[in-house]
Amino acid sequence: MHISEIILSPLLALIVGVFFLGLSRKIMARIHWRYGPPITQPVIDIIRMFSQKSVSHGNLFNFGIIFSIAGSIAVVLFIPFGRIHPLSNSGGLLVILYIMLLAPLGIALSSGEAANPNSSIGISRKLLLTLGYEFSLLLILLALMTHYRTISITEIVALQQKGSWSLFRLPLVLPGIAYILILPAILGVRPFEISKAPQEISSGPMVEYGGTYLALAKIEHAFAIVIGISLFVNLFLGGANNLAFFFLKVLLVFILGIFINAVFPRLRTEQAIKYLFGIPAFLAFLGLVITVLI
Amino acid sequence: MSLALILIVAFSGAIITYLAGKVSSKLRKTIAVVFSLALIPMIALLFGKNIETPLFEFLGLRLILRINNLAWIFAIAISILSSLSVIFSLIYMKGKEKVDFYYFMMLFINAAMIGIVFSGDLVSFFIFWEMMSWATFLLISYKRGPALAAGIKYIIMSIFGSMAMLIGILFILNTQGTLIISQLAGNINLSLYNTIFIMILFSVAFGVKNAILPFHAWLPPAHSEAPSPFSAILSGILIKMGTYGFILLLYVIVGVQKLLSLPGFTIVINILATVTIIFPTFVALIQEDAKKLLAWSTVAQAGYIILGIAFGTSLSVTGGIFHFINHATFKALLFLAIGAVEYRTNGVRDLNSLGGLIKQMPITFVAALIGACGLIGVPLTNGFVSKWFIYKSLILNKSPFLAFFALFGTWGTILYSFKLIHNIFLGQTPEKFKSIGRAPFSMQLPMIILSLAVIIFGIFPGLPLKAINSIVVSFGLESLNINLWGLASSTGALNTINIFTAISAGILLVWLLSKLGSKAKSVNQDDTYAAGTSVPQDRYHYTVEFYKPLYRVIRPYLKDIVDIFYTLLADWIKKISSKLRKIYNGYVGNYVMYIILFLAILIFVQLKWSLW
Amino acid sequence: MDRNKLIKWIKTPAKMGNKYSLHAVYFCTGCGIIEIPPTITTRWDAERFGVTPAATPRQANLFLITGYVSLKTLKSIIRTYEQMPEPKYTVGFGSCPINGGMYWDSYNTIKHLDKYIPVDGWIAGCMPRPEAIFIAVTHLWKMIDNDMADGYKKYRNNYDQYRANQEKVLGSLDWPPLFK
Repeated sequence: MHISEIILSPLLALIVGVFFLGLSRKIMARIHWRYGPPITQPVIDIIRMFSQKSVSHGNLFNFGIIFSIAGSIAVVLFIPFGRIHPLSNSGGLLVILYIMLLAPLGIALSSGEAANPNSSIGISRKLLLTLGYEFSLLLILLALMTHYRTISITEIVALQQKGSWSLFRLPLVLPGIAYILILPAILGVRPFEISKAPQEISSGPMVEYGGTYLALAKIEHAFAIVIGISLFVNLFLGGANNLAFFFLKVLLVFILGIFINAVFPRLRTEQAIKYLFGIPAFLAFLGLVITVLI
Repeated sequence: MSLALILIVAFSGAIITYLAGKVSSKLRKTIAVVFSLALIPMIALLFGKNIETPLFEFLGLRLILRINNLAWIFAIAISILSSLSVIFSLIYMKGKEKVDFYYFMMLFINAAMIGIVFSGDLVSFFIFWEMMSWATFLLISYKRGPALAAGIKYIIMSIFGSMAMLIGILFILNTQGTLIISQLAGNINLSLYNTIFIMILFSVAFGVKNAILPFHAWLPPAHSEAPSPFSAILSGILIKMGTYGFILLLYVIVGVQKLLSLPGFTIVINILATVTIIFPTFVALIQEDAKKLLAWSTVAQAGYIILGIAFGTSLSVTGGIFHFINHATFKALLFLAIGAVEYRTNGVRDLNSLGGLIKQMPITFVAALIGACGLIGVPLTNGFVSKWFIYKSLILNKSPFLAFFALFGTWGTILYSFKLIHNIFLGQTPEKFKSIGRAPFSMQLPMIILSLAVIIFGIFPGLPLKAINSIVVSFGLESLNINLWGLASSTGALNTINIFTAISAGILLVWLLSKLGSKAKSVNQDDTYAAGTSVPQDRYHYTVEFYKPLYRVIRPYLKDIVDIFYTLLADWIKKISSKLRKIYNGYVGNYVMYIILFLAILIFVQLKWSLW
Repeated sequence: MDRNKLIKWIKTPAKMGNKYSLHAVYFCTGCGIIEIPPTITTRWDAERFGVTPAATPRQANLFLITGYVSLKTLKSIIRTYEQMPEPKYTVGFGSCPINGGMYWDSYNTIKHLDKYIPVDGWIAGCMPRPEAIFIAVTHLWKMIDNDMADGYKKYRNNYDQYRANQEKVLGSLDWPPLFK
């Protein structure tokens, strides 16, 4: 654990996340047969938002969003990027699972103070979606932790480096497939974009965010993308020995996510929950049973 | 400090408070607070001591008081929580009727609970247990009406449990010849079936008090009907007497060695505990009454405690005992916060008619938020650490399914905790609550103290964990490598100070970043985006059916079969009894006939089989 | 990116940010809105200029008034405009907001939008084609560069007058004044 790593890893996550936001808009545009915005467009947007004079609905409104990004930064410190893992030894996967709560919780509290019914609906949907994918995700993580007999994420990465990727290990194939199936829900991309739903509930929790708050929410979104995918890469695609290779893997998974985002319409909340409690949950459950039996 | 003295102070405090109430209400308040506060230092001084003093003989059995680390942790929790809720009661109970009786019962119950944890033999344990049960009944039914029904439900189940415990105690007395816990400890020599038999008997008693699933039916109505400060005690400490009983039974009387030789029992308890986690969590999700929601959540959290304790590794037992302390802090905190809201809104607890109280009651909101975070187990609160211990133990000891249900229960907890916070404190404020004031200071003080406890135990979990570790070691389990910041271990350590530093550095950094942007203008709550119009007042707080898509899925499965069964049983007994009543028809001749018939049967039996 | 642009970015990031990131309120007033879908989708792709529809006025900085403005719509327009964070730009689209257009003698539409909210630029025509929107956007860029797109400042400075005009046609407004 070095000080330089502590500074480096959130910075990397931020840069990669913002780059991904730009890339996703570009790729989406190309899929739509458009030219698309410059790849730096998210940076321009964020600068513009910072310059705008927004409104605040109270102290919790200000604090919640800050707390949310702070939570994301903390998660980033716990997730190994290649060999950079400043705090991974302070609690392992269980802590990551729990700190990942802080970001949505912060946004939920912040937008809750705004007294806009749209944001309440958005939060309710977000929490429901979380419950839906968490069912499978917990089974998947438990299968991993049971298989490797550790709750430390660095250990899991190290063990994969020695052998094969978790995705190709016999008992973990099914959880791996289940994880891929719920990954869009974790990232909140299109078939599961129910909590934002710009056309329907005016971007849900972010409905009252403008100016600085919106910029912070954008940054939080960037972090969330990197966190969601990095966790998958670390747990199932073997992590990586160096940064470049790690982010290459992350990039590939992300592009896959954009493709899904580009072609799917949005599900209704009930449909999303039904889907999440269906095939992915079954596969993950089967995977855990097999892992325990072997 | 002698143990008898503490008990005398505790019990006499109750009586003196009652008598003082006859003189003036100010005197009563002062005395209640002084006596409940006086117990804290008296008990705190006993830390680390291991005393066993005989009291006197009773029916040929020696009554013994004793203290050790386990009893000390429970006793200190009881005394602190009870004094906080007495302080909270000062204004909450103002102007209500029978206040003397209320304070008397509060202090009496606390004295009885201290008696339970101090008792060194099963007779005094039983006596104090019954004192507590009956006093609780009186205080639950304090408000009459539905409260009386809730109280009767409680006392019937409680008597059922006590009778089971009494049989168990008599069984032990007959086979072992002694009821002194320190003599029983570990060297109980019974056959396997007899051991399981007494364990089941005791488990029924403790399960009723702790509200494990088939015996939970009394808890939700009792918690929601009792006065809020007492709900805090009820949920925070009183039901944990069942937990104390379980620890006493499993690790002191039966002992770890024997416990491990009969794994079937712990497996059954573990499965019951997981069911106790999952089912009430989702029932809590559909509740519309704030206190009922918290009551169901109490059932679920008790499941975590029992799961940790019954799982039987030193990690899980540490987690279970720590979760007991944590649950006492954050659940009491939540009940007090709801009590403050109830006080200010004239008794509104319906989650659909409140809203937006954050502006009116900011300190209560922060307290409730911290309590809810502890309940969820957000990192940096104490609930996180204890749950982490339990999960880790479950995962590393090849029980991923138990771990799964425990973890999934946490996600249900997030949903209902957020519903609680959101529906009361966030969103649109109804017009009639726009002018209510903050909670009075004597209500805020207990909430502030409990909030600090939640945070401090979350950041420095080592403080209580060291004491708990010594208890766990005294059970014969292996010692853990506890630090101030958590746990050092090769299979995944915990370092809360690192998490704390990371998050607070993050907050500082992002706060500075947000200062870069142009300053925001504060606006009124009503100034929200509503597609070019204004959001109408009093109508657009999104609360009813907050998780509607989920409710549609889960509602059919959430029938409380056990409660329905009990109700049917009660109806059936009522019916039978009313039929049986008809033999008393008022004719003396008939009664004479019954007597003669009965005598005739006796004589017949004696002549035929000569039983006597 | 050429050097001048880079210098501008360093000197006035806020201005440049506002210039290249115009998020439009998705507010359909009249028939003009029919030109917006092709503008933002595949055919004309407004996103390459950084123009995208925003979900709420809080997130936007460009307000396109697309078509005639009835009294009922005017109320919503004012409210929406006031909820947008500064700096914000308004563009009237089509001839109706300019002078009433074909609704010039209607009892129920307003004729001069800039009496009620400040308008930074107009796109004339009935209907203007999507290309006209892009010309308007490039014009707006120039105006932002030269600090000429200052409608929001005008609104703040002459708020009493605007508010009086608004109240004249709408009767009493059910929200408090934005500036005091």
